[in-house]
Amino acid sequence: MIKFLKTILFIDIIKGLLLTLKHFFMLRGVRGETTIEYPYKRRFLFQKIPQQKPLPEGYRGLLCLRRKDDGSERCVGCALCEAYCPSKCITVVSAEKENEPLQRYARFYQIDITRCVFCGYCVDACPVEALAMTKRFELSQYEKNTIAMTKEKLLEVGDIEYPCLPVRQTGGKE
Amino acid sequence: MNLDINLIIRFTEILITIGVVMGGLLAVVPLLTYMERRVLGLIQDRLGPNRVGPFGLLQPLADGIKLFLKEIIIPSAANKIIFLAAPVIVVITALAAFAVIPFGRDYKLHLELFGFTIDRTIHFYITDINIGILYIFALGSIGTYGIILGGWASNSKYALLGAMRSAAQMISYELSLGLSTVGVLLIAGSLSMVDIVNAQAKHWFIVYQLPAFILFIISGFAETNRTPFDLPEAESELVAGFHTEYSGMGFAFFMMAEYINMIMISSLATILFFGGWQPLFEWKSSIDIINIVQPIIWFCAKVFFFLFLYMWVRATLPRLRYDQLMKLGWKALIPLSIINIAITAIVKFIIENNIRII
Repeated sequence: MIKFLKTILFIDIIKGLLLTLKHFFMLRGVRGETTIEYPYKRRFLFQKIPQQKPLPEGYRGLLCLRRKDDGSERCVGCALCEAYCPSKCITVVSAEKENEPLQRYARFYQIDITRCVFCGYCVDACPVEALAMTKRFELSQYEKNTIAMTKEKLLEVGDIEYPCLPVRQTGGKE
Repeated sequence: MNLDINLIIRFTEILITIGVVMGGLLAVVPLLTYMERRVLGLIQDRLGPNRVGPFGLLQPLADGIKLFLKEIIIPSAANKIIFLAAPVIVVITALAAFAVIPFGRDYKLHLELFGFTIDRTIHFYITDINIGILYIFALGSIGTYGIILGGWASNSKYALLGAMRSAAQMISYELSLGLSTVGVLLIAGSLSMVDIVNAQAKHWFIVYQLPAFILFIISGFAETNRTPFDLPEAESELVAGFHTEYSGMGFAFFMMAEYINMIMISSLATILFFGGWQPLFEWKSSIDIINIVQPIIWFCAKVFFFLFLYMWVRATLPRLRYDQLMKLGWKALIPLSIINIAITAIVKFIIENNIRII
């Protein structure tokens, strides 16, 4: 009987219509900006503007290489990141340091950022916390030869983003 | 040759009315496409088109230019003549049906210009034929031919399936659409659209005919192939149904026809159940223009409400299955509309003949 009345009076349909109408009148202020009109409004962490949402905490952007507190490179050239990388975009050539036979370093370190999927596995794999992820995401370049992230560029980014603060970024290994 | 000034005026008047009605319709259709996308977007927590022009208002223009410049691809296996004629049939019948829609109250014009005395009534409809509503349904049925022919001439299985579904659906729902209006026609005592509107000066027919109105709206949704009943062009099942193979202006014509039919059914619902241009309240003014414009604004507002209802329902309800569609049409809507006719007829007979039932 109740089901019959419901069918006759279109109760469920009216409920649905009211729900959609509610969403129609929910203006942007109420539900927050769902759509961010990107080139005009953007999410940024390092350029804090009120009313703009920051990027989320665990955002995975451009990779960078970090330095120790004394200014030397952390990377020991173990190539674990290269082995772990699912898209095979990291190339590491390691070598021994000239004066200290037991210390190794990466003679050549390059991330082909066009192939990187920003999964963060390399950061997890790194035993010395040399790799870290920043929140940079606008990585377009005008020329092909400037897009590959060489060691110098990665270190440069790391100096800006992680000025010698030993903090784990992605975590999860512990 | 006996040139009567009034004849010339009558002739130009008709031409101007046709021009205004057709121009208005063709101008409203792009705006409707914009409105539909915007309303759907807002309901689904999106923004909708807002890039081209202020608030994206020029988006339909951009779409129109794009469609106009696109090549009209004719499938090699298609029947060329029918393939090209089908969209034209659909659009022409959709537009022609507006000939009998009254938009506003008649206005008695008295002018003295250059020694001529112009003394006539200006009608806000193109023509008033005494079978107005039959004419509209007839043209609607011819519009179905366009869809069926377009689907058949494409020589594609999706288009043919869409066309067959459309044929079955149109035939089933045309019945209940026509039958649901009979109650109104009984009360109004006329098939002429103008008489029907004039009969609603005191009470709108929605007061007497609420069930018929619901039946009419449901059948109207089915008749225009809109969302709960959009089986002929079900994009998740049949690609795009009968206009799968169309491109460029052929596709644009089908879209235009769909929106014009939406306006048509909305106008019909307004005229039959919501009093047409009869205002809910009116501001009497000494300036003639205000008195002329007010009923037109009321008519447009009511039609606009139904058009919004179309979009609202599209954003809310999922599509029916094919057997459910047929079941609803034949087992629910048609019997109910026949019962409605019977009850209306009996009540009207009792009231007119002052029969006391105690």
